[in-house]
Amino acid sequence: MVVGLSAAERRYLTDGIAQGLRNDGRGLYDFRAFSVELAIIPQANGSARVRLGATDVITSVKAELGRPQASRPSQGRVEINIECSSTAAPQFEGRGGEDLSLELSRALYRSLLCNNGTGPAIDLSALTVIEGKLCWNLFIDGLVLSSDGNLLDVLAIAVKAALSNTGIPKVEVTSAAAAEQEADFEISDNPDDFSGFDVSHVPVIITLTKVGRTYIVDATEEEESQMSSAISIAVNSAGHVCGITKRGGAGLDPSVLLDMISVAKEVSKSLLSTVDAEIMAAESRGDDQM
Amino acid sequence: MAASRVSSYSLESQRVSLARGSSALISPEGVREDGRSPHECRPAFLQTGAVNAAAGSAYAEFGQTKVIVSVFGPRESKKAQAYSDIGRLNCNVSFATFAGSVRGKAGQSTEEKEYSQMLYKGLEGAVALHTFPKTTVDVFALILQSGGGDLPVVLSCASLALADAGIVMYDLVSAISLSRLDTNLLLDATLGEEINQDGSLMLACMASRNEVTQLLLTGEWSQANLSEGLKLCLDACTKLAGLMRSTLKESTSNIED
Amino acid sequence: MALEFISPEGLRLDGRRPAEIRQLRANLGVIDKADGSATFEMGNTKVIAAVYGPHEVQNRSQQLLDQALVKCEYSMANFSTGDRRRKQKGDRRSVEISLVIRQSMEAAIMTHLLPRTQIDIFVHVLQADGGTRSACINAASLALADAGIPMRDIVASCASGYLNNTPLLDLNYLEDSGGGPDVTIALLPKLDKITLLQMDAKLPLEMFEKVFELGNKGCVAIANYMRNVLLENTKDLAFARGVVKV
Repeated sequence: MVVGLSAAERRYLTDGIAQGLRNDGRGLYDFRAFSVELAIIPQANGSARVRLGATDVITSVKAELGRPQASRPSQGRVEINIECSSTAAPQFEGRGGEDLSLELSRALYRSLLCNNGTGPAIDLSALTVIEGKLCWNLFIDGLVLSSDGNLLDVLAIAVKAALSNTGIPKVEVTSAAAAEQEADFEISDNPDDFSGFDVSHVPVIITLTKVGRTYIVDATEEEESQMSSAISIAVNSAGHVCGITKRGGAGLDPSVLLDMISVAKEVSKSLLSTVDAEIMAAESRGDDQM
Repeated sequence: MAASRVSSYSLESQRVSLARGSSALISPEGVREDGRSPHECRPAFLQTGAVNAAAGSAYAEFGQTKVIVSVFGPRESKKAQAYSDIGRLNCNVSFATFAGSVRGKAGQSTEEKEYSQMLYKGLEGAVALHTFPKTTVDVFALILQSGGGDLPVVLSCASLALADAGIVMYDLVSAISLSRLDTNLLLDATLGEEINQDGSLMLACMASRNEVTQLLLTGEWSQANLSEGLKLCLDACTKLAGLMRSTLKESTSNIED
Repeated sequence: MALEFISPEGLRLDGRRPAEIRQLRANLGVIDKADGSATFEMGNTKVIAAVYGPHEVQNRSQQLLDQALVKCEYSMANFSTGDRRRKQKGDRRSVEISLVIRQSMEAAIMTHLLPRTQIDIFVHVLQADGGTRSACINAASLALADAGIPMRDIVASCASGYLNNTPLLDLNYLEDSGGGPDVTIALLPKLDKITLLQMDAKLPLEMFEKVFELGNKGCVAIANYMRNVLLENTKDLAFARGVVKV
């Protein structure tokens, strides 16, 4: 992304970070305040909008019935697709946002589902309706409306929020079909008759951006433009690392890497509780409106 | 390409081993399907100068994984691209249509795009880009046979090809992957092991500078497992770097002869 | 007739009267990074627009020496429609709509005041329920105003149609796919000039006039609403800066 910073501004930014001071007054490991809205896309099974500073993303979860893959008869499938809207930056016009979209989609997928789709974050076997015949496939779509850095972390929060908001309709199997027959089933019409989704295992992602010799959490776009390297670490509520993606830039000393991982784990504790609290708050707001 | 050894295009049906328990992939005595111990790498074969037309090229074979990388350039950057005071690295990874057990489709797949991005990010930190301003170096990788650990093999092979092309680098990049099945950490996993893994780790590093250029981790890891995995990969990368170095030395001594 | 679009009581499927617009809602300044931005809702149709510029022309060869270069991109979110479809950017439909929006906005922007610059308009459909074209034009118009780009007039757009022998204003998706004609109009209300007129299907000339007249009225109503939104926004800004006291 092109961020126009003068030499003096750059110096101010990097020297500040070296002394533990950031332009917006935050500490090195502080997240910006963020807000969560739930159920904003009526035609989806679950959706959320998360705003962190000027970064603004929408995620939606759609569940569709389909056939499980032959190699995994007792599991549903999850697809994650992130799109960077050109409204977020003129650079995303046309095919301009594709590289970033792919990078974000894959990084999220890896953190949530491992690279062969067996990840610990989402219980895929809970999506099965009839083994080998019918399962729910989840399509997670993300849209970046406005970007001021730290997209991956915000998207991870939004995915977690959207999944917590997701209701999967109850399916009634009407005929106990023989192995080779197509099964008959009915999807419940009652809008209250759905099962929720357990998101306690969905991790948060913390991207540590290294500027100079120091690394910071939740970098803004300006700060990202000065990074030497960045590393995104997914941590779940058990405090286990669920995925690491190094995102370009210069090499890192392995000991620094381990340091960064432990910092991410520390930061994740407070972030996870804030995320949970925000989701809860959004849920209760939604209940009030009804 | 000097045929220094008989090529091993054996028609092993490796992909039959779909979705099996970890017990099938590793015996109680700790021996893997192909007879390796858990922390043993596959036999590797490296060679530079595989493609005559390229400025530099390399061929790598790790077990069943076979990769060829050619490097072209530095050449003038495209006119449409803005001025840049550092060089550009254009990375492109593609699978040969016959690389997997199912015939590949034409056109760039998302996997190829992702690998291309990863390759770029793994090399970016190692190449002295400031030595060729305004110009572009193309790195084209072709996976001839996909047998597990494709990306790390591509990364190592690409850095060898860059060295062969005389592109200035801070250090060679060597990369290795590791699969976790239950509690077993299997270094340099095969395809069969990768399909059944519940966690993976891919590490690319510049061994003599002790710097990690790319790191990719999936699955849930405890701190102890993670540290052990990283250490295993780092050690393996150091060993691989030694092998790459000797390959380069050998090829230059051949020229002198 | 498979579907009755108007009940015997004269109400439409969503309970509106034939000449009634859906609930309108608009917000300005929704994207911090953009120079101007707006969301526009017409019933269940919701679009977001962002304007970047005027800025230096990216591709020098496209630079115009006597006027501004206006660029527009229309895209739809994957989740915008009922059935999820993976859409590639730049399919024929979005290229056509991009063009339509660009042309109708270009007619309103005083491009001659901003020579050798570029103005980017990006619209993204978040929810589609008929009339996305109109909603996009309205959102783009508000976003341009928010960016402070000189315009002759705001552009207001509305669709009208003809079903069950009745002219209908502001069709929703169900009515849009009812097979009747669909007339989209964009109007410069103060100048009383049309910048966009599109119609598919066929319509007798005298009927067309009625439908057109209805659409025109819809545009005027929408323009009034947009003007109010802009006025409120300006008041808020003035208040925030302490220029006026309430």
